[in-house]
Amino acid sequence: MSGSGAVSPVPQSPTWSTRLRARPWGGYALAGFVVLYLVWSLAPVLIAFLFSFNHGNSRSVWQGFSTEWWTGPGSVFNVAMYHDAILHSFLLAGIAVAVTVPVGVSLSVFLSRWRGAAARPAGLLATLPLVVPELVLALALFFLVTKLLHFISLGTPAQVIGQVTYILPAVVVITRGRLASIPSGFEEAAMDLGASPLGAFRLVLVPLLGPAILASAIVTFALSIDDFVITQYMSSSSATQSIPMVIYNSTRGSATPALNASAMVVALCTILICGAGYLVYRILNRREEIVVPEAPAEPSGLGPAVGEGAW
Amino acid sequence: MAGGQIEIINLTKRFDDVVAVDGIDLHIPPGEFFSIVGPSGCGKTTTLRMIGGFEEPTSGRIVLDGVDMQHTPPHKRNVNTVFQAYMIFPHLNVYDNVAFGLRRRRTSKREVKQRVSEVLELVELGRLAQRKPAQLSGGQQQRVALARALILSPSVLLLDEPLGALDAKLRKQLQIQLKALQQRVGITFVYVTHDQEEALTMSDRVAVMNAGHVEQAATPREVYDQPQTRFVADFLGVSNLVHAEAVGREGAGVRLRLGDFEIAARHGVLDDRGLVTCIIRPERIRLEPYESTGENRIPAIVERVVFLGHSVQVSARLAVGQTVQAMVQNTGEAFPYQQGTTVQAHLPADALRVLGADEATPDDPEAARALNGERDGLSADGPPARGSSQPPDEATSAAGPERFTSQARIGDDDV
Repeated sequence: MSGSGAVSPVPQSPTWSTRLRARPWGGYALAGFVVLYLVWSLAPVLIAFLFSFNHGNSRSVWQGFSTEWWTGPGSVFNVAMYHDAILHSFLLAGIAVAVTVPVGVSLSVFLSRWRGAAARPAGLLATLPLVVPELVLALALFFLVTKLLHFISLGTPAQVIGQVTYILPAVVVITRGRLASIPSGFEEAAMDLGASPLGAFRLVLVPLLGPAILASAIVTFALSIDDFVITQYMSSSSATQSIPMVIYNSTRGSATPALNASAMVVALCTILICGAGYLVYRILNRREEIVVPEAPAEPSGLGPAVGEGAW
Repeated sequence: MAGGQIEIINLTKRFDDVVAVDGIDLHIPPGEFFSIVGPSGCGKTTTLRMIGGFEEPTSGRIVLDGVDMQHTPPHKRNVNTVFQAYMIFPHLNVYDNVAFGLRRRRTSKREVKQRVSEVLELVELGRLAQRKPAQLSGGQQQRVALARALILSPSVLLLDEPLGALDAKLRKQLQIQLKALQQRVGITFVYVTHDQEEALTMSDRVAVMNAGHVEQAATPREVYDQPQTRFVADFLGVSNLVHAEAVGREGAGVRLRLGDFEIAARHGVLDDRGLVTCIIRPERIRLEPYESTGENRIPAIVERVVFLGHSVQVSARLAVGQTVQAMVQNTGEAFPYQQGTTVQAHLPADALRVLGADEATPDDPEAARALNGERDGLSADGPPARGSSQPPDEATSAAGPERFTSQARIGDDDV
């Protein structure tokens, strides 16, 4: 040690918060910017929501409060176009979740536990669709389905296949992130105790992946409900219209406030479902801290933990 | 629970270009506490993982109770493992973790309940059955891992540094208890550790591994007192390596020449001639007043005295130039030798062990110098004046033929 006895205090670099406190105007500007952004992004949605309660046919001129577009004969629940589209959207989302999550989780488990020369490129390719523009993917799938794979009919089957293809990489990314934090030792321990490889996957890996699986389901659901391009390309008739398609198609025509109401139904349902999912996710995450003691640690010098007693 | 017998025959494991395990042979009789010890990367964990079935041998065989395990996957072997990081399932409580194995065997609910509570009693975790792993201390987790493996009554239990993550004091406690447990259940333990002291304390036999090879496999006493290779001598505890020239047999031993001195050694390879390396443990070297006379005594000058509590560690430079380390028990009396004192280092013939002809080339400058009896400050003829021409400070000891090995390990392991 060549140090000179005394230790000079390390100058603390000012953090952002201390800097902001030092210059209140900077803080106000930042807060103002956040508020402006929130108003900018949320106000139109709120206004659209409000107009679903308009008394009259206009979606731009307020004519008084009424619930006719929610309950009346021309309402979202009574006009077949809206009502069918909502159901179709939820149907597609349900199937997308049911297919994408198991396929995506299996794929990512396989990709992360596979040790071979092709493992890395395969992993990269699996996530490539994330950066391929959706429109390109939709066009490609459209030609594939209409020109080559005639047994897949446009409409619900093609829409599901399209959405799954589109969303799968997101599920793979989410699941692999979690997998990276789960040592392969857990599966080995399960097999050591007599579980088959499949048993180890089902009994140990799947529960440990719980939060990632739930997150995948939420993301899949939200992406599916929101999806327009692929769903549009893969649709066949008006029977396979989803809510985004109806909104897009009728927004330039003379739609009634029932359109707003239908959009709100989907938005509210999505928020509710995703919110509930997020809550469960939080609970799961809190319960399941993965405890992996550090590998051969230097002796810490701590005494035995309380309750070591006889042992 | 009956112990399992393991035969390992010419076992080799290659990862790409790296040979992790290089053709080892081991025979582990039933009920033995067998340790594999070695530095990290020596292949000990890979060997254990091959016995467990988690790695496939590149070649060679593992025979468990007479059955070749080549085509038996881990979940079909009557072998269980306590993993280094325990790998207790975090989503299951203690009870379900311990019951995991039995449930895979479709054991009846009643039996599961009974056996889980039995084994939890065995490791004294009964009252923590409902706890989640995150709520357990390191020592408790270690016991869950043990219970989870023992409940399946394996014939062999594999333990991969099971105490590695615990603090020193707890580790000492658990060493004794693990050993007691092994004797109680009577099954074969194969215990992998990098901690030589742990291996010596607990095992019936120890295999010292280095670079994929087994250097020696014998009882703790044997590997410590009669190391067959320089590596074993060096890895287990602290050893002094002394270079000498073997000149001929003498009774039950061999005469060695160190510079102007001749000493006798009674163990090891006695038939080699020429340059040899001998080892002697620091605790076997005796420091005596300079006036004392007798066989196997070489004048030396005390270079450094370090008080360690239970003993005093002394570095002494022999008149022939080599430096040795001596460990003197702290008996409560004042230690008579200070830095610079001249003494006689008594290297008893019984404590000297010849490792055989030097693997070091004869033109190894260090060995050559030692043999020529190059001396500084000391001669065989008489004591030098105190603090003579070359003071025994870092200038000489850093450049000089300092040869007490493993000095660093004292700080590491003897916590």
